This record gives sequence, structure tokens and C-alpha cells, in this order.
Amino acid sequence: MAEESFLADDFLRQLMSVGEVDLLIGIPSYNNASTIGQTLQTVEDGLRQNFVRERVVILNMDGGSGDETRQIFERRSERREPNHKGLTTLRTIHRISCQYDRSPSQGLALRDIVAAADLLRARACSVISPVTTNLTPSWVANLLRPVYREGLDFVAPLYARSRFQGLLARDLLYPMSRAIFGNRIRELYCDEWGFSGRLASQCLEQDVWHEEAIRARPEAWMAVKAMAAGLKCGQYFLGPKTASAAGSGPDIVDAIRQTVGNFFWCMETNQPAWMNRPNSQPIATFGPEHELSSDGLPQSQDKTFDLFRSGVNELEPILASILAKETHAQIKAISLTDRAKFHFAGELWVKTLYEFAASYHRAVLNRDHLVQALVPLYRGRLYSFLQEHANSSPEAMEAQSEMLCQEFERQKPYLLDRWTAKT
Amino acid sequence: MQDSPTPPSIVSQPQPDNSALLLQDENLWYKDAVIYQLHVRTFCDSNGDGIGDFRGLTTKLDYLQELGINAIWLLPFYPSPLRDDGYDIADYTSVHPSYGSLEDFKDFLVAAHNRRIRVITEMVVNHTSDQHPWFQESRSSRENAKRDWYVWSDTDTRYQGVRIIFVDTEMSNWAWDPISKSYYWHRFFGHQPDLNYDNPAVREAMWQVMKFWLDIGVDGFRLDAVPYLIERDGTSCENLPETHEIVRDFRKRIDQAYPGKMLLAEANQWPADVRSYFGNGDEFHMAFHFPLMPRMFMAVKLEDRKPIIEILEQTPQIPDTCQWCIFLRNHDELTLEMVTDIERDYMYDEYAVDKAMRINLGIRRRLAPMMENDRRRVELLTGLLLSMPGTPIIYYGDEIGMGDNIYLGDRNGVRTPMQWNGGWNAGFSSADPERLYSPLISNPVYGYQAINVDSQRRSAHSLLSWTKSVIQTRNAFKVFSRGSIEFLNPSNHRVLAYVRRLGEEKVLIVNNLSNSAQAVELNLQMYKRHIPIEMFGRNLFPRIGDLPYLLTLGPYQFYWFRLRRI
Repeated sequence: MAEESFLADDFLRQLMSVGEVDLLIGIPSYNNASTIGQTLQTVEDGLRQNFVRERVVILNMDGGSGDETRQIFERRSERREPNHKGLTTLRTIHRISCQYDRSPSQGLALRDIVAAADLLRARACSVISPVTTNLTPSWVANLLRPVYREGLDFVAPLYARSRFQGLLARDLLYPMSRAIFGNRIRELYCDEWGFSGRLASQCLEQDVWHEEAIRARPEAWMAVKAMAAGLKCGQYFLGPKTASAAGSGPDIVDAIRQTVGNFFWCMETNQPAWMNRPNSQPIATFGPEHELSSDGLPQSQDKTFDLFRSGVNELEPILASILAKETHAQIKAISLTDRAKFHFAGELWVKTLYEFAASYHRAVLNRDHLVQALVPLYRGRLYSFLQEHANSSPEAMEAQSEMLCQEFERQKPYLLDRWTAKT
Repeated sequence: MQDSPTPPSIVSQPQPDNSALLLQDENLWYKDAVIYQLHVRTFCDSNGDGIGDFRGLTTKLDYLQELGINAIWLLPFYPSPLRDDGYDIADYTSVHPSYGSLEDFKDFLVAAHNRRIRVITEMVVNHTSDQHPWFQESRSSRENAKRDWYVWSDTDTRYQGVRIIFVDTEMSNWAWDPISKSYYWHRFFGHQPDLNYDNPAVREAMWQVMKFWLDIGVDGFRLDAVPYLIERDGTSCENLPETHEIVRDFRKRIDQAYPGKMLLAEANQWPADVRSYFGNGDEFHMAFHFPLMPRMFMAVKLEDRKPIIEILEQTPQIPDTCQWCIFLRNHDELTLEMVTDIERDYMYDEYAVDKAMRINLGIRRRLAPMMENDRRRVELLTGLLLSMPGTPIIYYGDEIGMGDNIYLGDRNGVRTPMQWNGGWNAGFSSADPERLYSPLISNPVYGYQAINVDSQRRSAHSLLSWTKSVIQTRNAFKVFSRGSIEFLNPSNHRVLAYVRRLGEEKVLIVNNLSNSAQAVELNLQMYKRHIPIEMFGRNLFPRIGDLPYLLTLGPYQFYWFRLRRI
């Protein structure tokens, strides 16, 4: 155990009453009074419809909400279940609410969830976000079932995306993580996921819980731990996802800090797990075939291009310390091209990211600043992507995405060279 | 269950002060009874013909008295073709010759009464055997005076949609009679035609049958298949108002002529539906609580008190003079009619993996084999049975942990000869083994050489000795038979805890339903300053104070505490 006494006495007392469980569902919350009740209801429905015999506990790990999140959870917990005429489980559905800290941290919430999973010897667990407004009972089942029945250790969600949704994941996080860790998990950063008790126990042993890198997004780290340990990973197509205002997500700067920063940190702290890993392999994928849906191009991206161009200019000394000379020169060159002819090629994008990762490893400058320096370059790549695919079909975009993935894998030796270079 | 407003539950409402009933009212004997259920055929054979009889049973009354039971429920012993274990009666006012004579029965009854043991007999009122003279007359011609004693029809389409109870064997509730060339109605087997209770002559005839046995001295009747007495088009033909009228009529006659005699209803229904059979205290004195039984088994397997709490919360209050009858196992299959499909599947998967263990909608197994011969679980379930509200019924042989034989047909696997000792035919009969009405249980685990009364009598730690002790404890405190129940709701759901209360008498029961040690904190603020006294060892436990009362229990362990304020 990472620390001896981080579990509150009251939390421990409640866990003692629950005893061993088959399934554990963690709901981290912070000021989610408007949605927590519905989330709990949906989770319970998912259990009643799919796991009527299992021993189950639902944990609400709260980060010090100022609203009535916990009170609503506890009030609903006291609600009587339907009688024999309705949908019900054979066993009691245990519900526990606990405040893990005075300030929100997804990482600390996950720490308490995996601690509970370890203590209760849960076989399958999932984390469910109360900001997801279209959560359905089947989501809960689909994240738990591959772990509980198929023996997987980590199950990521697959969301239905339109052509221009989730570009950070599709153009950076997925192809890069696939090349680095050899595992084709498409949504490494997600709000809902499933994991095994075995993985929970392994994660609990790690002394990382106060690391800034996993404060906001601990899920990718958990996935990486699973990959690093050679555990079985999979993904389940859940369908489209919508989030409440509270979960509308950070702006692009924070998003990159939370995800890319976290990803670089995962690379840094798991070197042995990926450096000699061969090319990626498909993973178990459940549910219907997922595909991009067609929709219109987002509104004008001119500002995106302007921010790219000004960023390259303003951050020139920083980029010079991060990137290889040739790469930096290429980026500067394209930043001067005409907006209409602008193209940020996949090959250059991959090289850029690998050089950022290697520089992060060598800590050529403050790592947070380094990650932020990637933001204007991502904007450039984003602008290029949108221009290039304004009229592409979803199939063509999928094909392009696959090519990018292969490019990441092709250039992985370059990353290794940069990563292990003496200077 | 109907969608009527939920009546007050036996656990959700404060219980009435029953102190008035504490008077030594002999008429309420059934509330304080511990009933032992047996078939005379299975118990002891006195004449060496391989079939148990009343003379043999009489010789075993000392054993039953020693066990601590104070009532015997006899399964049908009337003349019968025995195509349904005697529930197909061919003569209501006699004794099947295999079991002895009417005089033997009377001698048995006197001997039982001399030991303060009451006798409840089976009264199959819904139907007769097709060999009964009433039916023989009824079918003989459409003009016969008894034609209208049964339910006849020219078509088999009346009462469409009424469920078939024995789904494994019956295709219809109508059977064709080739003699009178018409259909007769039967809710059970085709050889068991239903009597027509719309005919006053039938009611009178059945009252005369009851009167016959009451005059001899029996103490009560278990009325079989009560919900099915009346048929009406467009209904389920179950629990109809006219059925209640008939019951009220029987009850009125009994109260007038035979005060202190008891009627017990067999109505395999939800508690809210069975409630109507108590009426305003003017129908049945007792009724079986069928849905509780499978849920006790389920709770132990699930290691969760939820099934028990849920069903008792749905159990309505009943008049003060009435009582639920509760049981673990009986002569039939462990019925799974009063559970959901999900619950039934679970019970089958956990308790009847072998398909041979299943029959109709139930499981044909005895208590000990269902518990995998785990003494702790057998004791826990027996402890639950004896501490829950209601009059408990112990099925013969379960007090020693007898096994079953699922390879015998029908429910015969749980109706094998009582195992008295390890000698010839288990001490049941001097006949050649081949002549016994049923093979003995002879496997190494449950066979009579391993499981028998004599060997368990010699050990103070045997299941039999333990059962005697726990019955003795129950009998010593009326709070068990007449007290209210209040569930405590500790956060540990593996623990089922409740307080039984009658006046100033309070008993705390704490059961660990799980296979692992458990800690539980009980909110006993209502009983602050009371001293819990463990009832079997009479040891004092720490006085209840301000803090939640902490107890630890081993796997399947349970405590019974008297709460005393001294």
C-alpha cells in the first residue's frame, strides 16, 4: 500500500460492512449535485439488469463538493429498491459515500477506489463519471462484463465520434500511445473505464498518487500499468457521449497539459515497458463496429492558424531547445506559408512529437512549460487536418488515421535514438 | 400479489401488546407449538411388513417428547390407491390397512395426548381419489345423485387460462371420463377429481368427515390445496371469495362445537394473498408462509439478509389469534413457485445442479444434503426457523441430518425410512430389506450406519442433541412464539439481526449468514443499560452502552441473547 493511513476511518468502517464483493463501481464527484442522482440510478439499473446475483458496491468518492452532491447520493442510497414485481438484485447493493480530500483530484479519488477494490477483493471494477449525461445501464455492464466474464484487466470505452470530434485523441494520443506501448486502445483518456481487481492491487502499490501528472487524468496511467504488466486490455463501443456543463472539458491548453503531459510522464515512468516493445497489436474490441459519422466542418479555423503562426514565432527559443534543428526549421518554414497552401505533414508531426517526448525525458526545460509549448504546434496540425479533410468521407479519414498510426510506428526507432541520446 | 395498498407489515409497524394472549390460553396452543411433520409409513414398522404403522409410531412418541416437539402433523393415512402419496383419498373415515386400524390410531392419539403432544391430521378437501366411492357414483351416470359432487363439463374449454400446477405431468386441468363421456376438473393429478364446493351437500359431507376425526380427538387439520375449492369463469380459479365463505363456515362450526381445535391452511401464495385466509380471525388459525422458506436458503447462499428482510417486510400483520407456520423442508419439493424467475434460476444453480434434484417448480432434497452436510449451516437455518415469527415445523429426520435419494421417483427421495440405528433396516423394520416400502439411505455420508438416532443420542455434541437444546430454549420463552419482531439494520448485510419482544421479555438474535467471520455494529440504543445474556451458555456479555454494540461472529455463527435490565 502506498501510504498506511490515507483511508478515512469512516470509509474503512463502511468497507468492513460490505465485505468481499464481485463488482465495484466508483463514482468520483465534485459539485455534481445536478447529475449524481441520475448517475447512481443508471448504475443501479445497469447492475439490476445485468448482475442480479453479484456482490456489488457503489462508491461515491467526493472531492469536497460545496453543493449537495454527497447528500443527494446518500439520500438516494436510502431509497428502497423495488419489490419482487420490479427489477431487483438478489443481493443488497451496497452504497458508500466518502470525501477523499478537501480539493478535487481524480487521481486521489482513484487511489481510494483501487484501495477499496483491493480491500474488498473486487473482481471487476469500473469508474463512472457523473458528468456524462447520456450514461446508460448498458455502459455499466459493458465496461464490467469483459473484466468479470472475459478476464480482461483494463477496458477502455469507445465513443461514437463525428468526423471532427476527439481530434486530440485521434491525431495524437491514440497513434502515439499505440506506437509507444504497442496496444491499440483508442480512448486512452476517458471518463468511464473498467479494470480488474488484480490491476487495482498493482496500481495501489505504486507511490504516484500525489504526482501532478495524474491529478486530473489517472486513467491513462492505469492503462499503461496494465500494458506494462502484460495484462489483457480491451475496449467496448459505448456509443455517443454527451457531458453536462460541468464536464464540458478544459480548454485546449489544459487539455494538452492534462493528457499529453500525463502521457509523457507515463513514458518517462514506464521506460522498460515500452522501449523494446515491437509494433502494435490489435486488442479485444467488443460491441458493434464503430465508425465516424459525417457532419459539417467546424466554424472558421482562421484564428487557429493565426495562433499557430504567432506561437511558432513567439516560442522560437523554447522550440529551438526542444526540437532538432531540421524539425524546427521545417515548422518555421510551414508557418510562413500561405494559409491556403498550408500543410502540416504527418511525418513532420510524428517527428515533432517524438522530439518533444525525448526533450521531456531529458528535461531540457521545465516540463510543464515544455508541454505547453506543444499547444501552438498542435493548433497548426489541427488547422492542417481540418483543411485537408473538409470534404473527406469518414472512411477516408479512418484510412488517413491508420496511416498516421503506421507513421508513428515507423518512426519509433527515431524516438529511441533521441530518447537515449547522450546530449 | 394484487396492486392494493400494502397492508402494514409484521416488521414495519409497532407490535400490539400481546400480554393478554400470555394467559395460559390452551386454545392458542398452536401459537406456541413446535410441530414435527411425519408420514406414519416412514417412521416405524411394528409388524414387519416393511411399512411404518401407527403402533410403530406410538412406540416412538417418547423420542418425540424427548426432542421437545409438542405437536405432530401426520401426512395422509387414509385408504388410498397411493398414486400421490396418500393425497388421493379413497375413504376419509378410515385408516389405510398398511398403517393399522382406526383403533391403532385412537391408541396413538391417546398416547400422544398423554405426552402433551397434539396431533394435526391432513384433510385433503379439494379433491378425492378417482377411486373414492363419491366419484365412482358421480361418474356412473349423469343422473346419479352424486353427479354434481364433482365439476363436470361437456367441453374442456371452460376456465381457460387457469394455470396447471403439476406442469411436469399434466397437460390440462380437464380429464376425459370415458364412463360418463364428459370432462372432469382437476387442479392436481388427473386421478384426483376436484370436489364441487358449490354443492352444499359436498360441504356438509366434508364437515361430517372433519367431525368424525374431531370426535375421535384430533387437535387440528391441515387443509390441503385450499385456494382451489371454487371455480369461476374468467378468474384464476384461485382464492375466490366463495372459497373464503366455505372456510368461514367450517371455522364457525369448529369454534362452536370444538373450541381449541385448529385449522392450518396450505395456500402456496404470496403473504398478502394468504392474509385473506386469516380473515378477521374467523377463517384459518394458521397458514404456511411459503415465500419465506426459499428465501432463507437463498439468504444463506447469497450471504445477504436482503431476501429475508424483503419478504418479511411484505408480510402483513395478522389477527392476534392467528399465526404463520414456517418450515425449512417438508415432504414435497422445496417449492419455488413464490420466487421470481431470477431467484428460481439462482436456487436451481446453487442447490440443484443435478437435474435429477428438480421436480415441477422446485427441488426435491432434504435439508442436510442441500447444506452439503455442513453442520454450521444446518444449525444456522434451524436457528433461523426457531427464532423467526411463526410456528416452526421440523420435517422428520432433519433433526439428525438425514439424506435423500434423488433417484427415487416423484418426491419419494425425501420420504425414505426414518433412521433409528445402524442395525437391520436402520431399526425401522424387521422385514427383509427388499420388502421395505422404500429403500433406505445407505450411502457412506448420509446412510443409516452413519446418520441415526441411536448414535446421535449417545453424543452430547450431535446434531440431534443440539436440536433438542435449541427447541428446549425456544420452548422456555414465549417471546419466540408470540413476540413481535424488529429488524436491526447494521451496515453489514451479511448479518441478520432482530429483536423479538413480548412485554418485558426481549431477545436479540444475531445471525452471520456468511462463510467468513464478520464484525457487526448494532444500534441498540433502545436497549441501553441492558445486559445481553447468551441463551445457550447463559454467559453475560458486556452491558449495552452509548456506542454501537460490537459483535464478532464466526462463519455461520449465530447468537441468541436475552436482554435483561438488572
